Amino acid sequence: MDYSKFISKLSSRRKPSCISELRRALDNCSPSLVWLASGMPNPEKFPFREMTVTLEGGKKLTLSKETLSAGLQYGPSHGYLPFRNQLKRMVEQWHAPPRWAESDLIVTVGNQDGISKALDMLLDPEDFIVVPDPCYSDFLCMLSSLAPQIVAVSVDDQGMRPDILQSALEKAISSGSTGIPKALYLVPNSCNPTGTNMGEERRQEIYAIAQQYDLIILEDDPYCFLQFNDKYLPSFLSMDVDGRVLRFDSFSKVVSSGLRIGFVTGPPPLLQGITLHMQASCICPPMLSQVLIHELLTSWGDEGFKKHISDICQFYKEQRDAMIQALKTHLTGICEWIVPEGGIFVWLKVLHLSDTSAMLLERGAKGDIVLVPGREFMVDSTKPSPYMRAAYSCVTPEEMMKGMENLAKLIQKEIELQSTHT
Amino acid sequence: MKYSRFLTQVSRNRQPSLIREMTNLLAQASPELVFMAGGLPNAQMFPFQAGSITLKDGRALTIHPKLMMDCLQYGPTPGYPPLVKQLKDLTQQLHSPPRWAEMDLIVTAGSQDGLCKALEMMISPGDYVVTQEPCYTGTLSILKPYKPRYLPISGDQNGMCPEALKAALSKWKPEEVQDTEKDVPKVLYVNPNACNPTGVSLPEDRRQEIYKIASEYNLIILEDDPYYFVQFGDRKDFPPSFLSMDVDCRVIRFDSFSKILSSGLRIGYVTGPKPLVERIVLHAQVSLLHAPAMSQVLVSELLKLWGDEGFFKHTDAVQAFYLDQRNAMLEAAEKHLSDLCEWAVPTGGMFLWLKVPKIHDTWDMILERALTKNVILVPGKAFMCDSSKPCQYMRAAFSIVSPENMDKGCKNLAELIS
Repeated sequence: MDYSKFISKLSSRRKPSCISELRRALDNCSPSLVWLASGMPNPEKFPFREMTVTLEGGKKLTLSKETLSAGLQYGPSHGYLPFRNQLKRMVEQWHAPPRWAESDLIVTVGNQDGISKALDMLLDPEDFIVVPDPCYSDFLCMLSSLAPQIVAVSVDDQGMRPDILQSALEKAISSGSTGIPKALYLVPNSCNPTGTNMGEERRQEIYAIAQQYDLIILEDDPYCFLQFNDKYLPSFLSMDVDGRVLRFDSFSKVVSSGLRIGFVTGPPPLLQGITLHMQASCICPPMLSQVLIHELLTSWGDEGFKKHISDICQFYKEQRDAMIQALKTHLTGICEWIVPEGGIFVWLKVLHLSDTSAMLLERGAKGDIVLVPGREFMVDSTKPSPYMRAAYSCVTPEEMMKGMENLAKLIQKEIELQSTHT
Repeated sequence: MKYSRFLTQVSRNRQPSLIREMTNLLAQASPELVFMAGGLPNAQMFPFQAGSITLKDGRALTIHPKLMMDCLQYGPTPGYPPLVKQLKDLTQQLHSPPRWAEMDLIVTAGSQDGLCKALEMMISPGDYVVTQEPCYTGTLSILKPYKPRYLPISGDQNGMCPEALKAALSKWKPEEVQDTEKDVPKVLYVNPNACNPTGVSLPEDRRQEIYKIASEYNLIILEDDPYYFVQFGDRKDFPPSFLSMDVDCRVIRFDSFSKILSSGLRIGYVTGPKPLVERIVLHAQVSLLHAPAMSQVLVSELLKLWGDEGFFKHTDAVQAFYLDQRNAMLEAAEKHLSDLCEWAVPTGGMFLWLKVPKIHDTWDMILERALTKNVILVPGKAFMCDSSKPCQYMRAAFSIVSPENMDKGCKNLAELIS
């Protein structure tokens, strides 16, 4: 594939730092080389000597001197090498990408930073980006500042509709813009906010359309491990015969959100643009975070990792079940919803309201229930939306019951309010 | 000051994320509020429960389960609140910014990420950038894709020359450009202490002159100061920061823990006028979300354990170490390079900036032949705004190398130059 056409003008001008070039000299040097080049601070002066963490179940992990050292010093921009290698093994195992030999993987400061830098790398203002509508709100936030041309594609219970995608792309191409449709963004598993999963056949259809219009696919998949039925749908990466997928993985739902660790897999010419931007900004992903996750995964092995995933799926499944129970009890006839097969969100439609924003933002807190208004996720946020997103990850079943009871009352009040105004 | 003048269109377009705003509702809500708006994962499912860090002085930082949750869960974009408070207190203590009430602070993933976001906030392709020259390579890397029109300001053993700055800006009349948005310089970058790569510091009178000129021409001053605590000499003799003299509220200051606590934790912080720090916060909100939480908690707990006394005792020890390293380096340089090189004595930090008067350009010598002489340093061209021009300088780092190796290195360097 010709990747140069996808790179924004700004990104094409990024260059590696001179010092990283010099570091390549280290690869074949003699042991008597005196290295006076890099401005690394002396780690003898870092005050931390030893670190131990206790895992769930009581097991203790003590970081060796070398490992803690690595955790405290600058590291490579694309990630701590043992950790990268570990992640590569996992990706190869889970996805068997058809072009694995021509792929690479980098660690990012959370997967969202990877996405943000991918957009910076890809988009000139006149370019088109395809998004589902509704779409993850932070992604829309990124787009609102870059202000590219947005191709919004409505969804059904499986996500982006191929027929609408096709006609929207045709419209974009014939619009006379100097830009080109460059990329397509989606969250194929437990989509934020709709909670839906894109079926295998649908994925193949979308991939085929991406091929037809030569788009990069941005596969944002933070909920891939939170699937309740042990049914894992094949990723876009696993069907990527062309080398057009950039896949964004996250540890935020599985191991820790605060450590800020995600990773991106894809074609080296595209990862390069992200890596160079990382080099100029945060220099490298947080080393201690990488070291800890690496040690954890090593200590678990494949079996331990599978067990952990199974435990968290069990937990979130129970949360989902309690949520559906609360919905059925209090919101039958008032709202509609699709039962999510994974993740942490339910997307509710209020049957007799045209818009939920004012209700939630102005009256929700007083009514003791806060959900996110659907408008926040729509590409055109000026249009009314009868939807709301509820997260069931952190509330107890009792709170869910109370919350849905409050919501029913809130909606009822709102309907009355609307009718007195008409 | 009107700050919108300094912002790129992309930065002006940034809006707060509603969901993060909604989290603020929690602060004023009744305990009966059922909050289902945030998309947080459940922290009880995170596999780390507790931790313990032993320090080199033998004491321990305990991460009990509740604190571990703070390490592992999403946090606020400006930073872990206890750390933000500690850093604000430290900043106020060290710099007493004259317009402190109009300023704000954000913890960043290393100070360079703060600098990168500040520059991305203000620079559009082709914009002017006023900078010290030679300039830190990281800053040049951030700016390279924007193809800026550099106004490089030369310096001497006391850093940036105010006369050179005045001369560079003299093609504009201050009163004509104060409010102009396009085609005028608006940003000045400076490394005031133990500059990378020159190792020298700006004395107080020069800082005041530079501030005055920046004020006349309405420039934002980017004060990049990662070696603040590694200045040699008594802390009470440190020259005042640009932040401490910022009567206009035009300074954005970048602080770092990388040289004194840890570079790998990725913790730095930015202090500046509220409207500008807000833009950086909005950018962080849609990119990395916040600086790594565990790193922030560790730094916070460490500062709490040490208190001011312990903290300054540590920075004094770090400074003393680098002073010894510098002295050993100078000894080695004097022994082997006094006929071949010139240099100014570094007043802090970890770099020696060597001039080779007999050589036109050190680039080829180093990249093509240095390995054969078993010594590597950075050719000066890497620090120049215009990399097509030859440069007679080289930067040697003395942070990690032993005195024996410094001697060997300088000896090898002498052979290489000859």
